[in-house]
Amino acid sequence: MSALRRTWSLIDGPLSAVVAFVIALGLVNLYSATRVAPKGMFSSQLLWMAIGVLLLVGVALLDQQLLKRLAWPGYLGVTGLLAAVLVVGKVVNGSRRWFGWGSFGIQPSELMKLSLILLGAQLFSSDPKDMSLRPWRYALLWHALWIVPALLILKQPDLGTALLCGLLALSVFFLVPLPARIKGWVLTVGLSGAFLIVRFGLKEYQKKRLLTFLHPELDPTGTGYHARQALFAIGSGRLTGKGYLRGTQNHLQFLPEHWTDFPFAVWAEEWGLLGCLLLLASFLFLILWTLHIAAACRDRFGRYLVLGCAALLFWHVSINIAMVIGMAPVVGVTLPLVSYGGSSVLTVMAALGLVYNVSARRYQY
Amino acid sequence: MRLFRRRKLHFDLRIGLQTSLAPSGGAAGEPTTASLRVPLPLRVAALIAVSAFLVLAGRLIQLQALRGDDYLQKSTSNFIRERELAAVRGQIRDRSGAVLADNRPTFHVYATPRYVSEATLLRLGRLLKLSEEQREALGKKLQSKRGADASKQLLVAEDISRDQLAALESEKDQLPGIDMEARTRRVYPQKNTAAHLLGYLNLAGPDDLKRGYKHGDSVGRSGMEQRLESKLRGSPGFERFFVDAHGRRKSENELGEMAQLAPQEMRRDPQPGLTAVLTIDLELQRIVEDALSRHASAAAAVVEVESGKVLAMASYPSPDPNLLGGRLSRAEAQRMESDPFRPLLDKVLRETYYPGSTFKIIPALAALEEGLIDPDQKQVCHGRYELGRHVFRCMKAHGPVSLHEALAQSCNVYFYHLAEKVGLERMARWAERFGFGQPMALGLGEASGFVPTLEYYRQHGGFRGGYALNTALGQGAVRASVLQLAMAYAALGNGGKLYQPMLVDRLEKPSGEPVEQFSPQLRAQLPILPSSLERMRRALVDVVADNKGTASTAFIEGLDIAGKSGTAQVRKNRRGESSGWDEKNDHAWFVGYAPSRNAKIAVAVLVEHGGLGGHVAAPTATKIIQGYFDRVSPEHKPRPVAEATSSKLSTTLPASAGAR
Repeated sequence: MSALRRTWSLIDGPLSAVVAFVIALGLVNLYSATRVAPKGMFSSQLLWMAIGVLLLVGVALLDQQLLKRLAWPGYLGVTGLLAAVLVVGKVVNGSRRWFGWGSFGIQPSELMKLSLILLGAQLFSSDPKDMSLRPWRYALLWHALWIVPALLILKQPDLGTALLCGLLALSVFFLVPLPARIKGWVLTVGLSGAFLIVRFGLKEYQKKRLLTFLHPELDPTGTGYHARQALFAIGSGRLTGKGYLRGTQNHLQFLPEHWTDFPFAVWAEEWGLLGCLLLLASFLFLILWTLHIAAACRDRFGRYLVLGCAALLFWHVSINIAMVIGMAPVVGVTLPLVSYGGSSVLTVMAALGLVYNVSARRYQY
Repeated sequence: MRLFRRRKLHFDLRIGLQTSLAPSGGAAGEPTTASLRVPLPLRVAALIAVSAFLVLAGRLIQLQALRGDDYLQKSTSNFIRERELAAVRGQIRDRSGAVLADNRPTFHVYATPRYVSEATLLRLGRLLKLSEEQREALGKKLQSKRGADASKQLLVAEDISRDQLAALESEKDQLPGIDMEARTRRVYPQKNTAAHLLGYLNLAGPDDLKRGYKHGDSVGRSGMEQRLESKLRGSPGFERFFVDAHGRRKSENELGEMAQLAPQEMRRDPQPGLTAVLTIDLELQRIVEDALSRHASAAAAVVEVESGKVLAMASYPSPDPNLLGGRLSRAEAQRMESDPFRPLLDKVLRETYYPGSTFKIIPALAALEEGLIDPDQKQVCHGRYELGRHVFRCMKAHGPVSLHEALAQSCNVYFYHLAEKVGLERMARWAERFGFGQPMALGLGEASGFVPTLEYYRQHGGFRGGYALNTALGQGAVRASVLQLAMAYAALGNGGKLYQPMLVDRLEKPSGEPVEQFSPQLRAQLPILPSSLERMRRALVDVVADNKGTASTAFIEGLDIAGKSGTAQVRKNRRGESSGWDEKNDHAWFVGYAPSRNAKIAVAVLVEHGGLGGHVAAPTATKIIQGYFDRVSPEHKPRPVAEATSSKLSTTLPASAGAR
């Protein structure tokens, strides 16, 4: 009895509440969003969610020593997969992202996000003394470690995921205790590098996306069409929305492929500003609570692990919503727990599993 | 709104605060033994997250709360398509109801480029029996439309057959982006008859689009179609319907509650245009056109003397208005443009000519009314008249002639003497009274003609005596239209009432319910003594009835006509000048009214390069008058025997009647 109660007390209540709430909203919304989609999408999302919950529990129960030991081999393995996928991967929509077996496929780029979280936690927690003695070595190593897979992902090409890996790795970098001057240098070099990439390194379609983001009126039916229609959907929801299952932009198919990248537009159209603020507040609570768990964690590895997860959630949510509401160019970044798709669901669930894992061990040591 | 926003802010800050103070706040309220300082980066991270979400929330407020109505309208116009329901154009009818301009249903095919796939194009090509080249050209045209243009309907085929329509309707489901639209097409059942008067339509151009017309609308371009455009047009209605993003039509059931977002008014019926009933008599119009068709190029007008109503108005040759308005091939159009007989020109209204001797009534009346001559005093005509170094000629030496004989036999020399007495200014004043050189305000692009004054000649190289002589004979600078002459002679025949020519009798709803009835408009009651008019009448009767009259060859037993022939000199003169398409023959005129007493109609006939008016134009005019009394209005036909003899007897006037 007391064992059960002790186990129960290990489960983070507020975290569970907000995760369950967001999953519920996400499924409610996806039911509406997939009504005009090919059959079976909603049930397959239910299936992924179920698998995701199992994955979450599994990850939460993992021994942290095992996680530490997995960090390097995991990173090297996934980097290998990323290299391999460029050669033997399935081409979907013009980019090579998938290993496919029939209808089942995995994206190693999704695994790389988790792998980077794990590796960052491991790298920056393994030897604090050595790190304070030779901060430059750690900093440069870390940047070398994330840039290689990020470039491989960019090669697929998958700008969204590459961008996310970079932001994730940089967030971890800025959150770990390295000297401020090193962070300053990296910031300077990083910003100039980003400028050069945008100026010279983008593919034609990526430039075009960027351009139509800046001037959407130039091409109302081409690249900017989705973004414009998403704005119509969101704005037309007004304060309280058009009502569940009554979004015309959604149900009359003016929002193409809205279940993956644009589910927020569906939500905004049917639930209005109130619904949007509710969802936004839920996500914010989730992220702040994750930060809170990190702050409460007295173990460096656990704290950095959770920080990585917080960064993953933050960037996914903010970039996805920003692109849907027309504040960022359209790059393929999904909305955690709301977007359709196995890869997205499993990645987020695994990351949440890590958060639970750390949260449950807050009484140890 | 503001309240809500502030509350959210507090909520956010509290969470942020709690996070930054996390150790003491403690997860699940557990007491913590060791106090762990919350690292600065975490606090910054929390702050960044909160700020980023506040920015997102701000943008959402902008989109949904501030611009929401605008976006709602945009999203609504996404799925509500509006289709214009064209109004049926009003008919044009003759005075007894015969249809002159009508409408016929026709179907056009439209394509919306965005929705038309290659497969659809192939199917469409098969159903419309397009050749491979036509289909490919169409495909290219559709593909070339980008952006907003790709959502606009494009006319693919016009006036398709019933069979094609049925075929398209049956495969409508497999033709996304293809629409058939019912339109009407203007038809003129009488073909060439009254073509100039009716006018024609063609497609709205850029200027019309600015005035509220839409692509594919037809606009009246000339004649009554243009003049009455606003009455005939009606006002279009609309039909609204639901579509999805692929242009597929959705029923209200399929939309369910989403349909509530639609505007209240889903359909407005078009208001058909009004029917215009003209004063024209189709039977008489046919008689006139048949009479004119004996000539190469001619024009005629028949007006009701006591009202100014135009009963017939024709310009020959005339085009078939069914073929005008963009349906002619380029070659045919060019041929018509360059035809010397000018079939596209309305010679009754839009062209002016020298009135020639038909103008002599003006100096004659001016002289009589102002007491400048004794009409019975004879002038001797030797066939020539000298003024300074100039010699003015007559057709022959008429010998001694009075005014009566001078008019009946059209002696120029008599009128040279008369013109010197009357002078240019008086002639100009009297011409103006009879409407010459004055606009007619019909709105049909009619010409005003011209009557010279001393002022005019002073500004154009100075006045010389010969100009008054020329003017008296309707030459020189005098120009008049056929209808102006008809109206002037009508005034002569009705006791001096100059009417505004009237072409539209009334406007009706398609049901026949009257909307507007027009009445004759008197322009002026001319101050002419009845005795002068009677003197003119007798002289004009003898033009035809007397053996010596210029138009005696046109005399028809039993017809009582008062008229004047004219020969407008346009052939090559001694100086080698000529105008028009024939340098050997002058324009032939005959203008008159009938019966000579209690006149019913006035007729003006012009035959371009017909030769002598009395020989060419007069028989055409008498044929028209005969047709009117035989076939159009037999009840007004004068009793032949009595009238004919009386007119023969009354050719010499008692001296007392003319004394002033």
